[in-house]
Amino acid sequence: MTVATAEPPRLPVRDRAVAVERAWGGLSPMLTRLAAEKATGVLVREHGTLHLADGQVVHAESPLAPGLEILLTAHGTLSTETWRQAAQRAEDRRGAAHLLLAAGRLAEGTLQLCHLVALYDAAYFVLAPSSTPGRFRYGAVHRPGALRPVAVAALERETVRRRDLLHRIWPDPRLDSAPLVRTDTVCPPRLTVRRQTLLDRVNGTRTATDLARALGRQAFHTLVDVRRLAAAGLVAPQGPPPPPPDPPQPPPRLPSADTRTTPAADPPAVTTDPHITLLKRLRDALEAL
Amino acid sequence: MPGIDECLLQAMRLPGARGAALVDWTSGLALGTVGDAPAGDHETSAAEAAELARLAAEHGAFTADDADADAEHPPVEDVIVSNRTSYHLLRFVDTGFDSSVFLHLWLSRAEGNLALARIRLGEMAERLVLG
Repeated sequence: MTVATAEPPRLPVRDRAVAVERAWGGLSPMLTRLAAEKATGVLVREHGTLHLADGQVVHAESPLAPGLEILLTAHGTLSTETWRQAAQRAEDRRGAAHLLLAAGRLAEGTLQLCHLVALYDAAYFVLAPSSTPGRFRYGAVHRPGALRPVAVAALERETVRRRDLLHRIWPDPRLDSAPLVRTDTVCPPRLTVRRQTLLDRVNGTRTATDLARALGRQAFHTLVDVRRLAAAGLVAPQGPPPPPPDPPQPPPRLPSADTRTTPAADPPAVTTDPHITLLKRLRDALEAL
Repeated sequence: MPGIDECLLQAMRLPGARGAALVDWTSGLALGTVGDAPAGDHETSAAEAAELARLAAEHGAFTADDADADAEHPPVEDVIVSNRTSYHLLRFVDTGFDSSVFLHLWLSRAEGNLALARIRLGEMAERLVLG
């Protein structure tokens, strides 16, 4: 018997640099292309819109994220009445913000800051995976003078980083969109006032983004708070856990009043390796504390 | 009324300033940067500084006694870190709307004046949002 001495052909290796570049196109290849051609117009995706001027993002809106006016009026930075009056005189939100800036009702730093955080906040949801293709309407976009545009690459990088941050805190994406329920825990940790306020409003019907809007808080910040509360064992998503192979079942805990989430749940018969999964989730939870 | 960039440029005029950034500590995002970054690039520095700021702001040991009653304002004023060659000064900004931002100033230890920088950075943080 002879042993084959010829070396097998080498397996193809992905060029890392190219792969990284390609991966950036992965969030929204259309957006990457629009940035490259320095397009001006409005990109409409399933969860919101991005306004582009010369290939840079100047504004983002999503029904899931509270806009500039909610952030500015919720905590008394501006009165609702002041905003309403400005909004009546201007054609859009940014126009209203500029009127207030000119009238000295709003500091330039506050407006820039609020606009930037609202932009990143909305863009996080706009760039979320969608089930429908995006559309782009070329056309003039009102270019705000004092407000800073954001490069598409920076926005995509930040969005990916934010997804990763949520995953590291508590890897259960259902918390972002499902109605939330409170769960009992043996020794609840001391909560910050901010998280306690959020927890007090969890009622089994509101989702994280509903709560963000009700409290006038940034939606992504609320997602972070909700994941930390989940990691502490205080909230869980409503509804049955999705089927394997990605079983984000709640970690073992004492039976809670919330029985709807576990309707006579038999453990799934086929799992890849429950111990590894459980250990990883435990590690993630401990790191998040 | 200064905007974000003017505020950071002002901070860079302080003696010994090597770099400055405005960072969101919940997400770790740098909203504005100027000068050099202590960790090589501004994005990494912002994420690392945000982690430190979050620990200070979220743990009862470091927050003001009345932090529970006064949830609208940042629970911490500054975080100061010193090492053999430099100082780091993190100043929490009270924006008035829901946010979690701080100014991060990186100072050279040989030329910087920590006490002066702390007072000035506090004033800049106030002017940024009050105009």
